[in-house]
Amino acid sequence: MSPDRRKRSPFPWIRTIMAVGVVGALIVLGGQMLEHERRGGESPMTESGPRVPNAVFPTDTFAGKDIAQPINYSHKLHAGDLGINCLYCHTYARRSKVAGIPPTSKCMGCHTAVATADDKPEIAKLSAMWESGQSPAWNKVNDMPDFVHFSHERHLQKFLFDNPDMNIQDSREVCAMCHGDMVEVGVAKKMRPLTMGFCNTCHENNDGPADCTRCHK
Amino acid sequence: MPTKIDRRSFLKVLGLGGAGAALAGCDRPSYATLEEGEEQVFSYLAPEEYVVPGIGVWYASTCLQCPAGCGVHGRVREGRALKLEGNPDTALNKGKLCQMGQAALQTHYNPDRITKPRIGDQEVTWPEALAHIQSKSGGATAWLTGAISGHQAVLLDTHLHARDGGGKHYAVETVNAQAWQAACADTIGDARPELHIDKANSVLSFGADFLGTWISPVKFMADYGAFRSAPRGVLTVIEPAMTLSGANADHWVAARPGSEAAVALGVAYTLASEYGVSTSALPSGAADAIANMTPDRVMELSGVEAQTLSKIAATLMSNSPSLVIGDGRYETAAAAMALNMMLGNIGATITPGVDLVPADLAMRNGSTKALADFAADALAGRIDSVFITGANPAFTASGGLKIKDALANIPLKIGVSMFEDETTQLCDVVLPLASPLEDWGTHVPSSGAGRGEIHVQQPLMEKLHPETLGLGDILLGLAQDAGADGLADFEDYYGYLRTAVSALIGTDQETAWQAVLQAGKVQAPSGERAFTANGALNIQIADTQAPSAGQLTLITTARQGLYDGRHANLPWLQEAPDQISKAVWDSWAEIHPKTAAGLGLKDGDYITITSSAGAITTRVFLYKGVHPDAIAVPMGRGHTHYGRYATGIGVNPLSVLDGTQDVRTGEFLATASVRVQATGDNRHLVRLMDVDQQYGRKLAVTISADQHRRNQTNNQGSA
Repeated sequence: MSPDRRKRSPFPWIRTIMAVGVVGALIVLGGQMLEHERRGGESPMTESGPRVPNAVFPTDTFAGKDIAQPINYSHKLHAGDLGINCLYCHTYARRSKVAGIPPTSKCMGCHTAVATADDKPEIAKLSAMWESGQSPAWNKVNDMPDFVHFSHERHLQKFLFDNPDMNIQDSREVCAMCHGDMVEVGVAKKMRPLTMGFCNTCHENNDGPADCTRCHK
Repeated sequence: MPTKIDRRSFLKVLGLGGAGAALAGCDRPSYATLEEGEEQVFSYLAPEEYVVPGIGVWYASTCLQCPAGCGVHGRVREGRALKLEGNPDTALNKGKLCQMGQAALQTHYNPDRITKPRIGDQEVTWPEALAHIQSKSGGATAWLTGAISGHQAVLLDTHLHARDGGGKHYAVETVNAQAWQAACADTIGDARPELHIDKANSVLSFGADFLGTWISPVKFMADYGAFRSAPRGVLTVIEPAMTLSGANADHWVAARPGSEAAVALGVAYTLASEYGVSTSALPSGAADAIANMTPDRVMELSGVEAQTLSKIAATLMSNSPSLVIGDGRYETAAAAMALNMMLGNIGATITPGVDLVPADLAMRNGSTKALADFAADALAGRIDSVFITGANPAFTASGGLKIKDALANIPLKIGVSMFEDETTQLCDVVLPLASPLEDWGTHVPSSGAGRGEIHVQQPLMEKLHPETLGLGDILLGLAQDAGADGLADFEDYYGYLRTAVSALIGTDQETAWQAVLQAGKVQAPSGERAFTANGALNIQIADTQAPSAGQLTLITTARQGLYDGRHANLPWLQEAPDQISKAVWDSWAEIHPKTAAGLGLKDGDYITITSSAGAITTRVFLYKGVHPDAIAVPMGRGHTHYGRYATGIGVNPLSVLDGTQDVRTGEFLATASVRVQATGDNRHLVRLMDVDQQYGRKLAVTISADQHRRNQTNNQGSA
C-alpha cells in the first residue's frame, strides 16, 4: 500500500451528517410515539357506543382538538337534548358528495320563533350576521385531502336508506361511524382518524369497493 | 484545486447520509397531517332552491377566446366556475368547444389579472381614473378593438357618436378572413356566405386553415366530421407550410409562398382543357387569367407539376359537389371563387347568409388594414385619445408598421384590459376589465352561422376582483358621460342588455328572459341575402419565382392555441403540443430538410432570421411539410410584457414582417423575404413526439387509404 493511500484524507462532515441522521431519526420516532399516544388516548366513543345494524362499526378513534368556532353551536344541545335529526340541518348529505354546512336561513327558520336573541349571546351573534348578510366563517374540523373523493350520499344510501333494519330517525348512528357521536362533543371535534387505513378497514369489513380509483380520482 | 474524495469515503457518505436523509424524510405519520381547524368553510346565507353544495349547476354563456363566438355551458359549484363545454343547443358549435375555449378558465383565474385602475404607474380609484380621462380627452377619440359585435358594439358606436368631436372605430384582428370576404363580395355580392363543408364531397383549400383558425374552426370541425363520414369526402390542401387542415388532407401539395393563386388558376385551366368546363360565365378578367395560366406557367411560379393539377381536377370532377376555399391573399381567394363558379358550387355548397334586422348588432370583423389606417391617422395627428381593448397592437403589428411611433403620437391612450401587455405598457391610463366569465354581453358568430342566432353571455360567477368592470358597463358609463340620448335610465349594462334583448324578442316578461339565459341564445329577426352577379374580377398574379440565393420567404403561421399571441399567458395552451411540430413552451422555425442541408443546418440549430424590418433568433425544426423556398415561424410567442407565463418565451415573427400590404384588401401580407444565419448554438427542441419514425418497431401500425380500400374490395370478392 502506498503512503498516499494509507494517509486517507479525513472527511470532516461525516460526523455532522451522521449526527443529523440520528437526530432526524429520534424526531421521527418520538413524533410517532406521541401521535400513537394521542391516537389511542381517551376517546368519547366507547365499545358500548352506537351501532348500525348490518354493518361492522369502526372502532378506531382519534382524540381531536376542540376547534373554536365563530358561534358556539352545540351539537349536544341540538342533536342530543332536542333530538333533532342530523339530516335536518345537514340536508345536503343525502343528496351530495358533501354534507354541507346548513345555510343561515335554516338556523333562522327556528331562531326567529324559538330561543330568539334576547338573553342568548351566541344567537345574538347569529342574528346580527343574518341581518348584515354575512355568513359565519366556520373552521373546518374534518378535512379530506383534495385527491380523496368521499361521498356522503353514497355512504348514507348504503348504511341508512338501503339498510332494512335502520330507521331514518337513527341517522345519528350512521353519521357516528365516521364522525363519532356528535352528542358527546361540545362544539366541534374530530373523533375518527379518517385516514386511508381507517377507510380501508371499514371498506374491508363492510364489503366496500377496494379499487383505488373509487376514492382517488 | 478540486477536492479529492476516494471511493471509500464517498460510499460512507452516501450510505450514512442517505440513511439519515431517509429517516428525516419519513415525517410524521399521515393521519397526523390531516388538518383540523386550519381551513374555513362558509355556508350559504339563503341559497337558491336548486343549489346543492358539491353538485355543479351549468349555465349558458358565450366564449370570447376568438371572434368565432361559440356558445358554452359552464359548470359552477360553490360559486366558482370550474369547467366549460360547448352549448349543444347552438347551431354554430353544437356542443363542441376547442382547446382555446377550454382554456378560458385560465384567462379568468389568471394570477396576472389587472385588479385596479392605474394612471401611469400609480394605482388609482375608478372616479380618479374617469376624471382624468374626462379632463384630457378633448378632440377626436377612437376605439381600437378586436372583432366586436352585439350590444357592446352598439354602445361603442353610441359613445363615439355622442362625442362632440366624433370618433372612429378600428377593429383589428391579425388572424382574419378579409381576403376571402373581399373575394366573395366581388364575385357573388355577399362577403359572408354560408359554407357547407358537410354537403361537399370534395374540399379544396388554398391556405385556409378551416380546422385550425379560419373564421369558425369549431363549426367547421363539426361539418368536417360529417364531410368525412360515408361517403367519405376528399380533402386537398395546397399551401406553402402545412397547417392542421393540411395535415388532415388526403392530398397535400406544397406551393411556393404566394403562388397559391397560380395553382388555383392552373387547376381551373386544367378543368377547362381536360374536362371542357366552361369559363364563359365567370366575371370578366377571371377567364383571361385562367387562359394565361398554362401548366408550364404554374410550374414556373409555384413548383407544382402538371400531373398534380390533373389529379386535383380529376378529384373535383369525380366528387361533386365540391367546395373551394382560399385565403391569405386576395388573388388566392378570388381564384378559389372562380373555381367555385366553374364547378357549380354557388348555391350548392356556398349559399347566401342572412342579415340581422337590427343591423347595428352585426359583427365588425377585424382586419390588419384597420391597424394600418389607425397608425396612419395617429401619425397624422388625427387621433387625440384612444381606448384600446381586445387588441394588442404593440405585439401583433408588423415590424414595418412602426406602431409604437404611432401610439406615441396620441396624447391620451386608455387601455381597457384584463392583463398588462405590450400595449397597456404604452398606455397612460389602464382600466381593469372583468373576465368574460364575469360579464354580460351578446355576440354574433363571426361565420354568420345560425341564421340570426345571437349568443348571450352571462356571468358564471361573482367577480374575482371587485374593482374590475365589464366592457359593456364601461361603454355605457362613457356613453352616459358623453351625454348620449336614451341611456340615462340605465343603472348598469345588465339593465341595458335586458331591455335591448326584450325589444329583440318582443316581450319583457321575466319567463322569456329566463328562457333566453337558459338557452344562451336569442333568435334575432333576420333577412335572407341574395347573391348578385358582379362585373369584373381583377386577379393580379404575383411573380413568384424561386428566391435568390441566400434568401428564403418567411411565413408567419397561426395556430389554434396561442392564436395571435393573446393566449400565450395560458399555461395549458403553452403546454399543449403544437399540432404540427409537437413542440411546447418555445418557438421554432420550420425548414425543409433539403433547404437546411443546403444551408448546413441541423435540427435544433439556432438561426437568426433577418428581414428589412428586424431580426429574430430561434431554433430550426426540420420538417418536410414546408416548401423548400419557405421558412415558417408560428406566431403567438415572443412577448416582452405579458405576465409571468408568456414573457420571454420564444420569438414574435410578426416583428420581422415588413408591412407590405395586399393591393385589394390592404391587409398586411404574412410573408417577408429574409436571410438566415446560423448562430452556432444548438439545443434540443422539447417536443412531445420526438421522432417521426418508429424504427421498425410497429408501435402504431398504419396502412394507406388506398391499401385499405383494396383490402376491403378483396375481402368482399372472396366472401
